[in-house]
Amino acid sequence: MTRTVKEGGMGRLHPLVDLRMDRSWFEELQARIDRNGPWDDWTLYQLAMEAEQSRRIESFEELQCIRFLNGLEPMKHQTETAVRVLHDMGGRAILADEVGLGKTIEAGLILKEYLVRGLVRKALILVPASLVLQWVRELNTKFGITAIAQKRAHTWNYDVVVASIDTAKRDPHRELLLGTDYDMLIIDEAHKLKNKKTTNYQFITQLRKKYCLLLTATPVQNDLEELYNLITLLKPGQLGGHGEFASNFVVGKRMPKNEGQLQEALSSVMIRNRRGEGDVKFTKRIVRNIPLHLSKEEMDLYEAVTAFVKERYEESGGNLTSMLSLVTLQREVCSSRDSVFLTLVNMFKKTAEDSPVRGKIWELIEVIKQIKSNTKAEKAMELVRESDGKAIIFTEYRATQEYLLQYFRGSDITAVPYRGGMGRGKKDWMMDLFRGRAQVMIATEAGGEGINLQFCSRIINFDLPWNPMRVEQRIGRVHRLGQTEDVQIYNLCTLGTIEEHIVNLLHEKIDMFESVIGELDHILEKFEKEESMEERLARVLLEARDDQGIAQGIEHLGHSIRKLAEEPEEMATESLPEDGESAPTPSRRGSRAARRHAINRMLDGASTIVEVDSP
Amino acid sequence: MNDKQVQRFLTKYIEATGCHIVEKSPAHMTVKLSPAADRELTNRPYYWSYVDRAGVEPETMTYLFVTDGQRYDEQQLRQAEAETEAAAELGEMEQAAQSALSRSIGFVHGSITGVRTPREDLYFGSRKLDQLFEAARVGGSYVYLFQEPERRSLNPFDSIAYTAWLGVNLRVEFACDMKREEIHSYGISLATGNIQENFHDRLAALRLTPKLPANVHTARNGLTLARALTVVETHLERKLRAADFKWAEGAARRLDEELVILAHYYEKMLESAEEEQREAIATQYENRKEEIRWQYEPRVTVSAINCGVFHLEGID
Repeated sequence: MTRTVKEGGMGRLHPLVDLRMDRSWFEELQARIDRNGPWDDWTLYQLAMEAEQSRRIESFEELQCIRFLNGLEPMKHQTETAVRVLHDMGGRAILADEVGLGKTIEAGLILKEYLVRGLVRKALILVPASLVLQWVRELNTKFGITAIAQKRAHTWNYDVVVASIDTAKRDPHRELLLGTDYDMLIIDEAHKLKNKKTTNYQFITQLRKKYCLLLTATPVQNDLEELYNLITLLKPGQLGGHGEFASNFVVGKRMPKNEGQLQEALSSVMIRNRRGEGDVKFTKRIVRNIPLHLSKEEMDLYEAVTAFVKERYEESGGNLTSMLSLVTLQREVCSSRDSVFLTLVNMFKKTAEDSPVRGKIWELIEVIKQIKSNTKAEKAMELVRESDGKAIIFTEYRATQEYLLQYFRGSDITAVPYRGGMGRGKKDWMMDLFRGRAQVMIATEAGGEGINLQFCSRIINFDLPWNPMRVEQRIGRVHRLGQTEDVQIYNLCTLGTIEEHIVNLLHEKIDMFESVIGELDHILEKFEKEESMEERLARVLLEARDDQGIAQGIEHLGHSIRKLAEEPEEMATESLPEDGESAPTPSRRGSRAARRHAINRMLDGASTIVEVDSP
Repeated sequence: MNDKQVQRFLTKYIEATGCHIVEKSPAHMTVKLSPAADRELTNRPYYWSYVDRAGVEPETMTYLFVTDGQRYDEQQLRQAEAETEAAAELGEMEQAAQSALSRSIGFVHGSITGVRTPREDLYFGSRKLDQLFEAARVGGSYVYLFQEPERRSLNPFDSIAYTAWLGVNLRVEFACDMKREEIHSYGISLATGNIQENFHDRLAALRLTPKLPANVHTARNGLTLARALTVVETHLERKLRAADFKWAEGAARRLDEELVILAHYYEKMLESAEEEQREAIATQYENRKEEIRWQYEPRVTVSAINCGVFHLEGID
């Protein structure tokens, strides 16, 4: 509806309030009388009035958008968040709910409310590229908001546009956007704006916006400065000038102080809902390790590859960095001959023509040729056939993925692929197929925030990543809020290989699968300070003399992770006495973890605990 | 608006625009659109510009409007079940083929024969209903109407006196960072300058026609249309002045608070800034101030929903 005000009468209604009377209607009426028409229909005239009456905004306070939504029933904390942003924060806020509590829904409610009230017409939504289509879909289907994914220059003319920030800040878009007044700006994954020196940050500062929402589950990661920068984007000065912020709220280098005051100041710009300890109603995870004996031919290949890898390692004099790709070979044997083959071919091409290694690679390829079947694939098929339900199979290797697709198609099971390299549209398409008629999805990628597979409750880990976070990501796609079934996790584990050790480490030692791990990323960050998980594992494998040695090394790794997991609590109490001034300088080693802990405690203090039932 | 009101709205629109109802139940309506309605509702500007330029007979679309989704789906399901029972008599092969089909493409209605009938769920807040609202606005903005005489006079030479009224429905928006609206409907007698509130309600109870009825004469206008406009505006403004302004005072206070915080932040920054940065900071400060005013500044805006000239019986 056009509500442009053609300037007519203008005056003061109250010392504070301007009155603007639009007279364009009168001029048009006069013109039509002079021309003797044309005249409109009486029924439509009445309908227009009826429409206007039905959507009149009766009060400043009452949330209007709810009656405009069909089929979406927001949760209580989501509605409350929307109301607070609208009434107490004037439409500028950081929405910092924990993952899974529905920040998108909250933002959608707020946007819808302003649209319905005619306070927002032009809105810009900036999100990571992988989330653009998901946002468009949610706004359209859940909120009836006609949102457009930015594709070409002219799409910017639409009222509600979703785009990636990296596109938006580039020319020629940049100038166009900076020349537009946005009634509302929404930024998802806003923690990416924590550094004010970046071009992204400066671009957002320059955009002209009336209302603004920043969405992030992690408003502070390492450093209170990040939080300060986010707030400065929204409301410069809210926490005082930069120097004041530092002296009022930060102690030592980065520890928060005057927590109470800081939390109060935060609550005027930030809303953080988190789950209570008791009411996380996730379904169960049922983990089954499936031990498998490789066929004689496969085992031959494994041993040949292992010998090859050790040889190269000793030749290199213990240089680890070049060895990582070799260890990959061993892992690939446990997955499929196709993936080993591909890696060997590439390696062959890279090896100097006169190198003796070339011959050795050929020998390995000869061994591969002896393999006729894939023990794991057969088992995976058996598992899929155990039930009519859907299953997702994760593998680390593209070649294995291709092989499995072929293999399943050959047995009349509809399987669709999913991988990181696919375009957004294709990913969505695959997801729809899997939701629809495909029984199996074979995926090489678990990351990418957009994959929600609550409709599937069975995961087959065809092979395992060495990074526990990636394992958790895989499971998290399926085991999340909204999952109604217990989740079955199958780990295919070939005995007598490094895989057996990895499953042992992840499952037995750090209890990766059974629990929803919240702290894992913190723990790993500490654990990986000097060397990544992959590197550590590779070192254990290469340096060990025998299987016994590997087992010991793995045992040791598991032990150090466990120890770190139990640590932060003690460290925080040691280095965070009530009076910040007399705090002993925390030791270099512990400071990072302690800081993280202190920041989290501060954030928790500024948040509201909500009860969430699995929908 | 509940689903009944939506359906009533839809029915009135369809009748007013001359569409053809193909099928109807309390939960849905299948409608072959008239050219006028098609232009407004189907988002096919290219098609219509082609029709206009080439002068061909337009082929309008047929919509399935669903006003009660749940009930409609249940109806469909029952119908599908009945058809499945009928299909049980088919041979085994055919049945298998059919179930395979319905698995992959969903239930196929037997009566659909190639012509696409898009389904539109109409509920308050849905985009199609918004489009209908907009179509009503576009097609119902300015009217010029006469009241049908209450009863035919027996004497053909009797003439009934009519008064011309300027009628206008006004939307008043009270806005700061939030908003409230009022709708005021006024009629001003062009004969006497007499002003009536809730004029639209009075009109709604009458039978109105675009044609001048026989045996009717209009009283001489005592005031111009422009004068009538002033009467309306003065009247409304007086009314608005008496309104409660707490909302505006609250918004102005919030605005001031924000400006103080901002001043504190930027003035400090400007003091300590290097010469070459000062201008950029000052610009940013100005922009931020603009944004805050844009966000909070209290204002009242009056605009028209629609208006017209109405010739009504009697002189008042």
